[in-house]
Amino acid sequence: MSGVSTSPPETAASRGLACCHVCLKLSPIAAHSCALCGASLHARLPDSRQRTIALTITAALLYIPANTLPIMSTVQLGTATESTILGGILLLIHHGSYPVAAVIFVASVIIPIAKLLALAWLSWSISGTHGVAHRQRTRLYRATELIGKWSMTDVFVVSVLVALIQLGGLLVITPGPAALAFGAMVIVTMLAAESFDPRLIWDQEEGNHA
Amino acid sequence: MLAIQRSACHECDLMIGLDELESGQRARCPRCGWLLTAYHAEATSRALSFALAAAVLLVMANSFPFLELQASGLEKMMTIPRAGAELYQEGHAVLAGMVLLPIAVLPAVMLATMIALLVSLRRRARSSWLVPTGRLLFALNPWAMVEVFIIGVLVSLVKIGAMATIVIGISFWAYIGFVLCFIAAIGSLDRFQIWREIEACQA
Repeated sequence: MSGVSTSPPETAASRGLACCHVCLKLSPIAAHSCALCGASLHARLPDSRQRTIALTITAALLYIPANTLPIMSTVQLGTATESTILGGILLLIHHGSYPVAAVIFVASVIIPIAKLLALAWLSWSISGTHGVAHRQRTRLYRATELIGKWSMTDVFVVSVLVALIQLGGLLVITPGPAALAFGAMVIVTMLAAESFDPRLIWDQEEGNHA
Repeated sequence: MLAIQRSACHECDLMIGLDELESGQRARCPRCGWLLTAYHAEATSRALSFALAAAVLLVMANSFPFLELQASGLEKMMTIPRAGAELYQEGHAVLAGMVLLPIAVLPAVMLATMIALLVSLRRRARSSWLVPTGRLLFALNPWAMVEVFIIGVLVSLVKIGAMATIVIGISFWAYIGFVLCFIAAIGSLDRFQIWREIEACQA
């Protein structure tokens, strides 16, 4: 926290500059592409809000088959048992594996829902007027970015089970359609978080002061 | 020392004027708290050593048995590449990619890229490698999920433990070592610092 000295609150965009989102070099926005790394320059990510909302809706739609369809099916001595994500969690609780049930519940239910709500709310909040501080909303955005990939846990669990449990006619596990839907949902939410531009949160502040 | 004339916060766009940073100093955005840089003079050599160690461990993790299952006199051995190959053969090509890419393929590409970039940076010479490797490395970074896979494996162990005996293979330990070194290597790479070093070489 040392060595920092700021000129009066002034943004790069207001000076006609843009910070390159790849190499963090400051360039005039008129240049269109960064002189150092060649990435295209934007004062704000293009159509950030529309893209985030579209991807969040896509992810929410993918979350439906991810929970209603079976994530894997266990074929034991010729009898197939299909289980959904929630079914798997209930089974773990039934067997008394509470910590593991908690891990799957957090990774597959809490994190995706929290992430979808956070992205939807952040996209909505950049147009409305309300009391939540900019800094707290930026923190929420950072948390959203950070936790996203942990939802992949269950997809990895299924793939390990499928790879390991192939005992001829005795016991076989195959992945269900929900594994794909769930994996796709995680990827789409990560893209949604990436397309959200947190600078839009702060633009509001400048607008209010002006 | 890292000299920074002018920059802007990547998350709130505030103009930031910095003087010089000593090794070990951090610079945060005064308005939103975004970490602009955690400058460390030894960062590149540290990242390079961890990346080399991670590369060796990743090769090991892919070459030996990862887990072995024993149930009713039957045995089934699993390696990381074979797990992907089996998913692929059974017609789950997309799922195979969704698993193998974030746990092994992308991290391997990232390590190769990181080693190429850091070796070129240490030579302090202008090179056509620098910019493409830098861009690739930071673009792939969010998509590596090696630590998530560890949790997935641990959960699987508990799930299978009830129905069969699991033998933990050498690759399992190699993979854990790889994850620790990989995270340490990525953690030592400061985006701002690396790009300023690339800039200094290109100038």
